[in-house]
Amino acid sequence: MTIFLLILHGLVGVALLGALTHQSVSLLRGRSARGVAFLDRYAGARDRTFTTAIVALFVAEVTLGAIIYPAYRLGVRIPFEEMSLGWAIGAFELKEHFAGLGLAVLPYYAYTWKAEMAETLRGDRLAITLVLAFVAWWDFLVGHVLNNIRGLE
Amino acid sequence: MKRSRFSPAAFTAVFCIAYIVVFALDFPLFRYWPLHGDWTWGRARLTDAGPAMAWYGLMANAGIAALLAAFVVPDAWATRLLGNRLWLIPVGAMAACVFLLRQFFA
Repeated sequence: MTIFLLILHGLVGVALLGALTHQSVSLLRGRSARGVAFLDRYAGARDRTFTTAIVALFVAEVTLGAIIYPAYRLGVRIPFEEMSLGWAIGAFELKEHFAGLGLAVLPYYAYTWKAEMAETLRGDRLAITLVLAFVAWWDFLVGHVLNNIRGLE
Repeated sequence: MKRSRFSPAAFTAVFCIAYIVVFALDFPLFRYWPLHGDWTWGRARLTDAGPAMAWYGLMANAGIAALLAAFVVPDAWATRLLGNRLWLIPVGAMAACVFLLRQFFA
């Protein structure tokens, strides 16, 4: 069951970082690109439509992580301590804290993406979206690297 | 525009600040001890119970503070005060996490 949840956690993570990267690139391009180049097409997505999916995916991702977290604490972190892999433990600690802070940011993230806030909260919308994208990438990469060192059983 | 009683700006700001405070002070609402499935309140410790997990309790403490703030602080006031600067709070909280965990990377 833990392995199934871990794989699901990874798959949701892929979908989440894909959506957030799409939305971030679209924001950074700053215009409705409609060219034929790959980047134009990538950035030309209707970024506002990603918001609800990103909130749902982020909540699902953190919930799945919270469910399998005890298995990590007992089956992975203790061996990391025995192997003196302090950096790995620290990276996972950052992953968990960043995820929690990312969860806290979601209400304001959704708020800044409302159509009526498009102009007044433009700066926060860009920065908060980039923060969430960073969290999604950090958490995914750390989880992937640590799972390569020692996976859940 | 009709405004909700819930202030997203206040929720996010207070959650991030409260999270760092309870993390730095090691003051979760509760701890989970996964070896035997035990729970303890606050800073209470168990002996021979294996490792403790504080994260759920940190989230709960920060969440309670944030929910209270989100329903007490008027959204118009929070947005006017923090608008377009609020992103600095979660970024600062993340930097504080790195600082508080620096011993792992030394």
